[in-house]
Amino acid sequence: MKKTGFLYDERYQSHKTSGFHPEIPDRLPAVYRGIEDAGLLPKLTLLKGRQPEMKYIEMVHDRSYIERFKAACSSGESVFDDPDNQMCSDTYETALLAVGGVLEMVTRVMDGELDNGFCAIRPPGHHAEANKAMGFCYFNNVAIAARYLQNGWGFHRVGIVDFDVHHGNGTQHIFEDDPSVFYYSIHEHPSFAYPGTGREFEKGKDFGYGYTKNSPVLPGQGDEEYKRLIERDLLPAFAEFKPQVILVSVGFDAHRDDDMSDMKLSTEGFSWIMRLIVELAARYAQGRVVSVLEGGYCLARLPELAKNHIEILLNA
Amino acid sequence: MFVSRSMTCKVITVDQEMQILEAQDLLAESNIRHLPVVDGDGRLIGIVTDRDIRSALPYHFFKQSCSGEEKQQFCDMKVKDIMTTDPLSISASFTIQDALLLIQDSKVGALPVIDEERRLQGIISVRDLLRAFINVLGIGQPGTLLGILVEEKIGQLKKIVDAITEENISFGSVLVGRYWDENKRAVFPYLLTQNVAHVKKKLQGLGFTIIDPMDWYIDQLPQDESTCEPTE
Repeated sequence: MKKTGFLYDERYQSHKTSGFHPEIPDRLPAVYRGIEDAGLLPKLTLLKGRQPEMKYIEMVHDRSYIERFKAACSSGESVFDDPDNQMCSDTYETALLAVGGVLEMVTRVMDGELDNGFCAIRPPGHHAEANKAMGFCYFNNVAIAARYLQNGWGFHRVGIVDFDVHHGNGTQHIFEDDPSVFYYSIHEHPSFAYPGTGREFEKGKDFGYGYTKNSPVLPGQGDEEYKRLIERDLLPAFAEFKPQVILVSVGFDAHRDDDMSDMKLSTEGFSWIMRLIVELAARYAQGRVVSVLEGGYCLARLPELAKNHIEILLNA
Repeated sequence: MFVSRSMTCKVITVDQEMQILEAQDLLAESNIRHLPVVDGDGRLIGIVTDRDIRSALPYHFFKQSCSGEEKQQFCDMKVKDIMTTDPLSISASFTIQDALLLIQDSKVGALPVIDEERRLQGIISVRDLLRAFINVLGIGQPGTLLGILVEEKIGQLKKIVDAITEENISFGSVLVGRYWDENKRAVFPYLLTQNVAHVKKKLQGLGFTIIDPMDWYIDQLPQDESTCEPTE
């Protein structure tokens, strides 16, 4: 059994959204309950959120953006940059604690204290651009983790796999000209789903050309199509790139019961994807995987999906 | 939506005495396909395209297996020998829609834009029109496209717009298309949000049908199925 970290903090529920917003605090207790009810907590190393060093956030986000976010939050604004991004007075602090928790997880895995880990954080991050909040995201947690690995640990081959049902425009744009980070995303086709990027022909820019790979999936597809595309696109890409560590943007919103998308992925389909990622990590990255929660809004399905996810990490 | 706002104003033009090989280089360097030909006063007298030039040169010219004599012959060819004289052109006050229809009818790739004295003012190409429509449709802007089937009667769109506005969602664009059934229409609002689950339910509650995304068509007519079924 692996030494698996689990980042969970009740303070991550302090970022509140209102009305019919799907990205609600209750998502996290649902994740926790699934893991707790399966009796897995004693097998995990529990991590809490913490303040990050701002220099790591500034490796991804413009300082002016960070200031703007902080100011909007403290002046009581209810949305930031776009009506999708609802905020409350605790949103900025919560977003900081999420980044800090993720960086702590990365540190523990790099130190060898942990083999891998899952970060159940809010708010999510993969839509956040260097200077713009988008799609419920403020700080790009995974992008910051990747920069931390590059600058704090000298890694020059960081692999990111993003299977949230929406394309991670922020992560892609942040690394599109950087050949030391490979960004792979599988998501609902952008002609049918937010955010309108992540087309097959988006492959990176300049020196980073060829280090971005997108597998758009047509509406209504499920396990078979995901398997076909991942085997066709991700496997050869990572066989060549050989990531030294894998970061995962985990979204559970491609599930057939999640009404945020038209995808029909089954619970077992998610397990298949995660097992494959863990295998890739064993093959190329000494098993080092840090997964970070993005979307996933079906409260009825989240417990089981989270439980399966952490079991796969434990049994890696 | 006038051509004047979407056309390319800094047009690369040529003199009719230019050698075609030189014109070919100019097209390649500038990454364009059409060269308007103007006289000394800047009046449009013709147009030459990359295709005109390729058609004027034999295949073995590109294989570089021409004899010296042949080569000289092609070097001597001038733009005036192959250009289309008095080409189809439009005025800057034409609308984008005019240009689209004209391009579709005439099967040209670009239209020179001239004033009343036939002086060249710009050129509008298929590429310019595509850019204008990508912009109008908001393609690539962060958002989500919905497809909604509605009865063909007055006031349907208002209901949809009201329902969406109540959710505090902004519109990127709205397309209304024809549908197979004569008494139905397909409405495609492009919503500038990730959060559409609730508004979809709300629209269904109002009696609208959300069209399965795999059944979306923007084109107007059901095609003859034998002609364009995808081959798998």
